Formats: sequence, structure tokens, C-alpha cells
Amino acid sequence: MIKLKNVNFQYMGGNEAGGLSDINLSIPDGQVVLLCGRSGCGKTTLTRMLNGLIPNYYDGDLDGEILLDGENISKLPLYQTARKVGSVFQNPRTQFFTVDSTSEMAFGCENQGLPQEEIIKRVKQTAGQFAMQPLLGKNIFCLSGGEKQKVACASVSVSSPKIFVLDEPSSNLDISATADLRRLIQLWKQQGKTVVIAEHRLYYLRGLIDRILYLQNGEICAELSEQEAHKLSSDEQKEMGLRPFDLLKFPVKPRHPAHKQTFLCSDFAFGYTQSKHAINISSLELPRGEIIAVIGHNGAGKSTFARCLCGLEKKCKGMMTIGENRYDRKQRLTRCYMVMQDVNHQLFTESVEEEMFVSMALPEREQAASFLERLDLLPFKDRHPMALSGGQKQRVAIASALVSGRNILVFDEPTSGLDLQHMEEVARELTALQQIDKTSLVITHDYELIVSCCTYVLHLEHGRVQAQYCLDDAGIERLQEFFLGSR
Amino acid sequence: MNAVCDLPFEKKSVIPVDPRTKLFLTITVSTIMMSGSVGSVMNYIRPCLAILPVCLLLFSKRWKAVANFSLTYFILFALEIEVLPLLSGFWNFLLGALVGIYTHILPGFVMGYYLIDTTTVSEFVAAMERMYIPQKIVIPVSVIFRFFPTVIEEYFSISDAMKMRGIATLRSPMKMLEYRVVPLMMCVVKIGEELSAAALTRGLGAPEKRTNICRIGFGVVDILLSVIAVFCWAAFLIW
Repeated sequence: MIKLKNVNFQYMGGNEAGGLSDINLSIPDGQVVLLCGRSGCGKTTLTRMLNGLIPNYYDGDLDGEILLDGENISKLPLYQTARKVGSVFQNPRTQFFTVDSTSEMAFGCENQGLPQEEIIKRVKQTAGQFAMQPLLGKNIFCLSGGEKQKVACASVSVSSPKIFVLDEPSSNLDISATADLRRLIQLWKQQGKTVVIAEHRLYYLRGLIDRILYLQNGEICAELSEQEAHKLSSDEQKEMGLRPFDLLKFPVKPRHPAHKQTFLCSDFAFGYTQSKHAINISSLELPRGEIIAVIGHNGAGKSTFARCLCGLEKKCKGMMTIGENRYDRKQRLTRCYMVMQDVNHQLFTESVEEEMFVSMALPEREQAASFLERLDLLPFKDRHPMALSGGQKQRVAIASALVSGRNILVFDEPTSGLDLQHMEEVARELTALQQIDKTSLVITHDYELIVSCCTYVLHLEHGRVQAQYCLDDAGIERLQEFFLGSR
Repeated sequence: MNAVCDLPFEKKSVIPVDPRTKLFLTITVSTIMMSGSVGSVMNYIRPCLAILPVCLLLFSKRWKAVANFSLTYFILFALEIEVLPLLSGFWNFLLGALVGIYTHILPGFVMGYYLIDTTTVSEFVAAMERMYIPQKIVIPVSVIFRFFPTVIEEYFSISDAMKMRGIATLRSPMKMLEYRVVPLMMCVVKIGEELSAAALTRGLGAPEKRTNICRIGFGVVDILLSVIAVFCWAAFLIW
């Protein structure tokens, strides 16, 4: 039984978003609770209270009581809370303490000082339940994002806490890994565990949730059952900034195939090891000036294809042909640009304007300003790029690509972990790029993003082109089959 | 103490050598080779100690490393025996010093390479815990092992980003350093913060004595290698 009484919290440093005010809540054992709401509404903060990271790790002003079976969590040391509450976080890269998946599974129990035999028994049992024996004994750095998240969930499960707290666990997962995650949560539910999930993507939780808490500006402002949530009209959902429970209900706009010019990628073959090709595409013709969704399961070669296209893989000898011009790898480095998933990697300077200058052969203030204006960045031109919001950083990266005259832009999962509103913002940006005749390739697992803005689909599987089609009526059906058929 | 654990772990070694033996050997080889004492017995022991780590690499099927280190050894000895006597004065001194430094340090380095290349982090942590090294040292060391590959991953991402922007070459070196280091710091700080939050929610830092299920232990090979090392120490200290 979790009980929150008159809880208020404000992060150290004051006006930052994510504080909570006047939370009264009780969660009986065995309930599966979904926390939803816009970015910065306080979902993550609430999860941090349950696992004790607030106030023991993140500083701030806390008052009120957070009780777990009558004990005040905020007064307990973290290692005691850890026995009762297990946590899974958003980023699969940063929640491992060891380098070996078996050691990671045992880590929680080892910290409790349980006897060896007991730990070994539990690890085996959990691996069996989660059907993940093949993942044991692997180096964590050799696992895919989905596999890492599975190991993370399993590791928490090994120490069998009563309560599981998940903070946006699906943001970096593809469809089949998300389906796996659903099965794990289902298993916990069957075992009678309490599960609290903060999440933007809702479709995969359909049928699992007992109770939905909708947060806004740090307050719980609605409480629904799942049935009630399904009855919300799409306008109401949009108003609340929620992604749909049923992907099919999300509004789609079929595009009309326009006969445009194309560009050709030939002989794109590349492998990380000599024996196996990560991609092997002899010839691929793609339309110019479209927003192309690149889809496929984890390990299909989407990112590798994007890296080769941008000229980042030296061993890939492929050629790109646009009209009469042929571009080899080095020329592609200056023609294409990738907006990375972690956009922090590609911002280098001390101000947004300087960021533009670095990309220009001859720094010209007016030209830079015109591009910044187009992306609504002009008011921030003197700000430090790292002080901007996630969406603004992404736009700075785009602007730096445009200012150096790139025509092909590649986006690597631009909407992972974004709420509906921010996802729509990205969709608008992509549409704006199409209007100025740029070609965008968007690597994504986000169905909602694809139907909001993409016009063409490239489906890769096992390093080869599985299908490519325009997103007209028939195309949307194929896309839905890919996303819903594989559930 | 030694429960039968048939859980699979990441495996790097081919011959089963306990990390503690490897550590002991590393200390032995580097100390004895570095100190450069010469005596009747030492004239035999020193070459043996130089070759030992290469043999261990050979048994561990690290072909490339074996080839590289053997070649380096060969060149160094060829220089020492064939070229050094032909030179005189300053050049003799310079080459002699250079070769001397290498032959003294390289074996220890090769041994260290063997230690790191064939030991997984879990084994190493288990070994430290068995040696009763306090948690205050074990935890930071395991964090470092965890952190290194992460920092390297981040570093390559940043390099890629610089290539795409066309700022990887030329221009002032100070700027280049800044462009590399500033984003790297940002990422590393963030990763470190998330990593420690995750570790704390898994109960790290509890006052109980930690258990460790990683299986390490001494075998025949360990005994053999330890005997060799002890003999070398005896020879080293007595003669």
C-alpha cells in the first residue's frame, strides 16, 4: 500500500518544471497505475518519490508524507527502499552497473548480501519466466536497446520487490521490444505486484491498466479507469496531450503520389564484421523532396544505412546519384546531414549564431539570421545551445545543416520519449523542410509521427529493402499492418 | 563458499587463470624486469619472465597480440645485439638507453595487457572482493570499468558529428579540443548522474557484506604459475 499525504515538492534551484503540489494519493497492493500528462507535468518526479530518489538523491523542498506500508520512504536510506521498490528507467544505456548481463541480474541481490545459492536460483528462475536465457552471459555493450531494457526489467525482478516503478520504459524501443515489455508488465500484474508506469506511448499498455492518473502542472487533475480513457474523443485526447491507446484511432491523412524526381543509391554494402553484411543494397531509388519514414525492426540496418548515406562509414563504397551528379562518400559528407538522437553531440559552440558560422564557408550574419528566423530561433541567437530545450536544440542542428546548403537530412529517432505536443512540433518542422524542397529521411518507431507527416515509407529488414511505398490509402494500410500486425 | 554455479557469464579467457594469479604475475614480472639486477641465475630468469606473458597470450589464442609483441621483442634484441656494438659515444648511449627502457618495461606491459584482455569486469570485481579490498575501493574501480566504454562510445558519436559539420580537420587545435571536450563533458556528467541513480535504486551502498556469484577460484594452472613466480622472487631477493 502506497500512501501520499499532502505532498509538495520543488526541485532545488526554484522555478524549474517538474515540481509537485498537493498530491494526495493511495495505491493499494497489486494495482497497475499509469501516470500520464505532458512533458514536465511531474510524472517523473512522482516516480522518483516512490523509489526514494527524492529526497535522497535529487535535492529539493519536500513536505508531506510518502508512506509505504506505513513507513515513511523519505526517511529511509535508499538501500532499504530498494528492497521494496524496483525501478526501470528511460535510457537503457545508463541503468547498468556491471558490464555482464548475468552479473547485472544478480547485482540487486548481491547488494542485499543474499546467499549465493539463493541468488543463482532466482536468476535462473527469472530468466526462465522472461524467456531470456540466450541473453545471459553477454557483454552489455553488445546488446541492442530492446535487449538492454529487457535485462533491466529482469534484473529488477530478480530481487522481487513488491512495487515496480517504470519511468518511460518504452521510449527507446521498437515495436517488438515494446510488445516484450508489455508481456513483462503482464507477468508482474499476474504475480500481484504493484506497478506504477509514467509513459507517453500508451497503446502497448491497453488492457493492463487499473487506473490512470492525469497530471498537469504538478497536480493530479483527473483520475480515470481505462474504459473511461478509451471513451475520450480524439479531440479530448489531443486537448490533454495524450497519445492514443488505439493506434488505429489516430487521425491519418493519406498523401497523393506526386511524380517527383528521384535520387539513386547504388552499391550500399557495409558490415561491422567481415563475414556479415549489416546492409547490402545494390540499388535503391528514392523520391526527392519527400519525408521518407525508414522503418524496420531493431537490427534491420536502418541506422547503418543512414550512416552510409551520410558518408560516415569509410568502408562503404556506395554511390549516390542525383540527376547527372554522382557523389562518393566524401562528397556525401557535405551533402547530407544527420540529426542525431542525442542532439547534444552535435552542438559545439557558445552561442546559436556562432553555431551557424561554424557551418558556413564565409560567415555572413544576415544569411545566418534568415535561416534562424525560418526555424523560429532568431530570439535565441545569443543563447548557449546547451541552455535551450530539447526541441530548440534539434532545430539548431537543423538550421546548421540548412545554412551549409544540405539537401538531404536524416533524422535518427527524433521523437523518442516525446509527448504528443512535442511530437507534433517535430512533424511540423519536417513538413516545413519539405516545403523548401529538402528531402528528409526519418528513422523511427513512432507510428503517430509517420502518419502525421511522412509521405513515403522505406521498409528495411535484414539489411535489405523489404518494401518501399508512397503513403497513399493503400500505403497507410500496409503501414498499419506493419505496426499492428506484429503485435 | 563455492556453490556450483552453472550460469553463463561473459567469457574472455581460454585457459582458466584466476585474476588474483594474473595480478600476482603482473607485479612479479614488472618488478623483477624493471629493477634490472643481473646475476648468474637472473641471466636465465629474466628472459623467461619476458617470454612468459607472450606464452600466456599464445595459449589464450590472442594471435594478433602474440605476433605484435614477438616482433617488437625480436627487433629490440636484434638492435641490442647487432647494432649497439657498432655505435659509439652519444649514439651508443641513446640507443642503449632506448632499448634498455623497452626491454625493462615491455614485459610488464605485455603482462598487464594479458590481465586486462582476458579478465572480465565481473571476475575482477569478484577477485577484489575475495582479497578483502574495502568497498570504498571496489565500487569506484568497477565504475571506472563501466564508464570507459561509455565514454569511448560518446567520443565516437561526437567525432561523427564533427565530420558531418566539416570541422574535424584544420582550424586551430585549441578550438578542436574545445569542440570535442565540451559536448563530451556534458554527456559524461549526465550519464554519470543517471548511472548512480540507477545503482542506488538497486541497493548499492547497503551496509551488509555483498555476495558475489561470479565464479573464480584457483586451479592447477594457478598453482603452476604461482610456483614459478615464487621461485623468481626467491631468486631475485637472494641473488
